[in-house]
Amino acid sequence: MKALDGFSGLRDGLREIADMRNEWAGIPMPLDGIPLVIEPTYRDAKGLASIGRGKPEAASEFDNVEIINRFFSTRKGRDIVIWRQNGKIDWGTCGHVHGADFALQTLGASDAWGIEQEANAINTLGGMLSHRAFKQYMLTGCFLETSRRSGVVYLFRRLRPTIAISLRSGSSRILAALCMHPIGYYEGSWAGAMCPTDDVIAHLALMRGDEAMLWRRCNQHAPYRPEAGL
Amino acid sequence: MAGQVGILNVGAGDTKLVFDPSNPADCIRAARVVKDMIRRGYALLVDTGKRDAGDRPIYARAKDFDETKFEYIIADFDPLIAAEEDANAEDESTAAQSDGAPGEKAKVRKPRSVRKAIPAESVNAIAVARTAGG
Repeated sequence: MKALDGFSGLRDGLREIADMRNEWAGIPMPLDGIPLVIEPTYRDAKGLASIGRGKPEAASEFDNVEIINRFFSTRKGRDIVIWRQNGKIDWGTCGHVHGADFALQTLGASDAWGIEQEANAINTLGGMLSHRAFKQYMLTGCFLETSRRSGVVYLFRRLRPTIAISLRSGSSRILAALCMHPIGYYEGSWAGAMCPTDDVIAHLALMRGDEAMLWRRCNQHAPYRPEAGL
Repeated sequence: MAGQVGILNVGAGDTKLVFDPSNPADCIRAARVVKDMIRRGYALLVDTGKRDAGDRPIYARAKDFDETKFEYIIADFDPLIAAEEDANAEDESTAAQSDGAPGEKAKVRKPRSVRKAIPAESVNAIAVARTAGG
């Protein structure tokens, strides 16, 4: 299988370096054109995050621009940005209307993972779930689990943020889409530095062991944002 | 019986550390790795082996690790102590309302958290590195 995967050499090399440096969670694989966002206290976080980014232009049309405000418009389905440049105030839209760009970036980032790593992670997840939940995960890429502390229902999904659902007052309501990746993630995608099922294990284990920490560590996306992946 | 720690890993999917009492050298190495991970801010989530009423496994986050005894230290909340302290707090609150000076607030004691040790050889755990929100 390694002969078919052009990235396996780099992946194995990084694994060996990680072993030598006692990086117990490994070293994320940099990819050309899809920069990494790394947890700031990680060793060499700045160096890794700078790989794959284009060099900033010496002079651009955005010189002397001061951002005044940025907010989400439900009517336009995008962020509205208001800025001041040379004393003149202007506005424009930015961000994504839907998650297609995220899905494509995620597809590109999949070069970072190997079948072997994903198989190991699936093996570990299988030991943490009931047969039914594991079957659901294998067949649909998601499964449900209710927190014994808060009663919140979590929909854990492969390569998408976890959906937190409240069932209070008889109806279901999405509280937030919770996005978090150990070590880091690829910018503009739903792909983490670790293989997809490792991210699911991280969400599940934190929900079971320390639910408050899960919420603290996650970016909480509103369900209507493209980042939520709904 | 041997306990395992699954470390979520970029290059390997996950790597396993084993606490096998019949292999002290491996235990010592695993203990050093676990202690170092806690120092670096990893979340160590221990499957306590218990199940709740809905048959769901009960996990707890390890606050520390005792390298000499190979034990996870978790914050536990003893229900008996909690019930006793709740009763004491109610008594004190009633006494303060009847005897205390006007405007004086009744002291309410916070329930005391209990540290509990779980032998690493008897449970499995998952180690999650420090995270970046996506």
